Amino acid sequence: MKAFNLIPAEERGGAGIGAGKSGGGAFVVLGLLGLLAIFALLYGAARHQISSRRGEVATLNAQAQVAQAQATQLAPYVSFMALHEQRVQAVSQLVDSRFDWAHAFHEIGRVLPKDASLASISGTIAGASVAAATSAAPAAPATTSSSATSSTAASVAVTSATPPGSIPTFTLSGCATSQAEVALTLDHLRLIDGVGEVTLQSSTKAAGSGGGGSSSSGGCAGSDPVFAMQVAFEPLPSVATTGSTSSTSTAAASAATPATGASTAQPTTSAGGAQ
Amino acid sequence: MTTRDRIVIIVLSALAVVAAAWLLAVAPEREQAAKIGAQVSAARSQLATAESSVVSARGAQAGYAAAYASLVSLGKAVPTGQEVPSLIYQLEQASNQKRVEFASITSGGGAGSSSSASASPTAAAAGFTQMPFTFTFNGSFFDLYHLFQQLNGFTLRTASGGLRVSGRLLTIQSVKLTPTTSSTKGSSGQLTGTITATAYVLPASQGLTGGATTASPAGVTQTTSSSAPSSSVTTPAVIGASR
Repeated sequence: MKAFNLIPAEERGGAGIGAGKSGGGAFVVLGLLGLLAIFALLYGAARHQISSRRGEVATLNAQAQVAQAQATQLAPYVSFMALHEQRVQAVSQLVDSRFDWAHAFHEIGRVLPKDASLASISGTIAGASVAAATSAAPAAPATTSSSATSSTAASVAVTSATPPGSIPTFTLSGCATSQAEVALTLDHLRLIDGVGEVTLQSSTKAAGSGGGGSSSSGGCAGSDPVFAMQVAFEPLPSVATTGSTSSTSTAAASAATPATGASTAQPTTSAGGAQ
Repeated sequence: MTTRDRIVIIVLSALAVVAAAWLLAVAPEREQAAKIGAQVSAARSQLATAESSVVSARGAQAGYAAAYASLVSLGKAVPTGQEVPSLIYQLEQASNQKRVEFASITSGGGAGSSSSASASPTAAAAGFTQMPFTFTFNGSFFDLYHLFQQLNGFTLRTASGGLRVSGRLLTIQSVKLTPTTSSTKGSSGQLTGTITATAYVLPASQGLTGGATTASPAGVTQTTSSSAPSSSVTTPAVIGASR
């Protein structure tokens, strides 16, 4: 038997999307309109964004210009503060690079044995005397320095006359009642705060009797030995730290009473403490 | 033309319209919006930078008076000129306080040069100019020790790390203590202290305050009337060395 379609030919195809007289074209048009509506929305949003952002940019630029103008007007204050900072740092560097001579003398007076006395003290900072001597002054440095090794101190950026790394050195000459006292003096000098090295240069008993006969430096009594020794401190700090030997703190000298040995250079009593 | 062909044509046409609308209208606007968004970000960062500059400048302005006073105070330690009279005055005052006789001052750091006190500064490569001197003091060990303390104390660091300036900044390079040779009355126990020291001077190119006055630094246009004196500050000729 042959199959036969009873549905009329114009109604065949079911009730699908493309059914109808337009053949689905209406849906396409609707979809197109929908997309165009979305696009129109996006376009409008973009336009709005553009206009609002343009306004914002203009406002921000204006504010930035005002702020810039204010900053420019106040720029001299900033420059002045920079100058101030630079000056403070430079002075601080110089202050920190100094050697605390008072403290060193205080320490020498503190540790010197009572049976030793000093005839003269000469302290110098190796590397500093040369720096000072590079000035227009033709004369030699005032003190008897040991050996000024660094002559480039003045030419470095830090203009301190006592550049970092310089070694303060003291030359002490005096008398002691015996050679053992000279040895004790050497030992005691090593106790000084910040001392690096203590070396004996000489310790000689006078050949003849009589004060001052052979010991021209100190007028030692009788045959007391005349000594000369060198005390080298630690090098000056290279950074702006306040070390024990370079700090500007004022030591309370009254707390540490100097030795009471009679001497021309050595303090004879403890009455002269720091005020 | 079949129905299917019509549908294909309609769909293609719709796609073409959609693409054209996107490419010609929406996309350029969105692109421009994005560009302007970047401009907004740039403008914001520019404003932030400018505002931070203003804030720091206002901070500098607020601290100007203190910085100016500090800078002038530093002028006591490192003046613009040689200020030898001021230095002599300070040394004399300090030695009087410490019962030490201020015997001599020699410029140049040389013991033998007996020229008058017209120091010959040494211009360093950078920073301050050095002025070497040699001073001679007579006094007891303790008095000289106290004098050294006082000389150091002209300019020193405080516990808080700041600077306290009450006089000329001196860097002592060498000290020599010897018995006083003269047999004058009361010279027993007296020492002669010979000190080689360096004072410092600001370079000629730098003013003490860089042209600033008490009211404002150089270059500031005054928009408001200021009652502060407008005289420029120079290095104080004589300052008190005592504390």
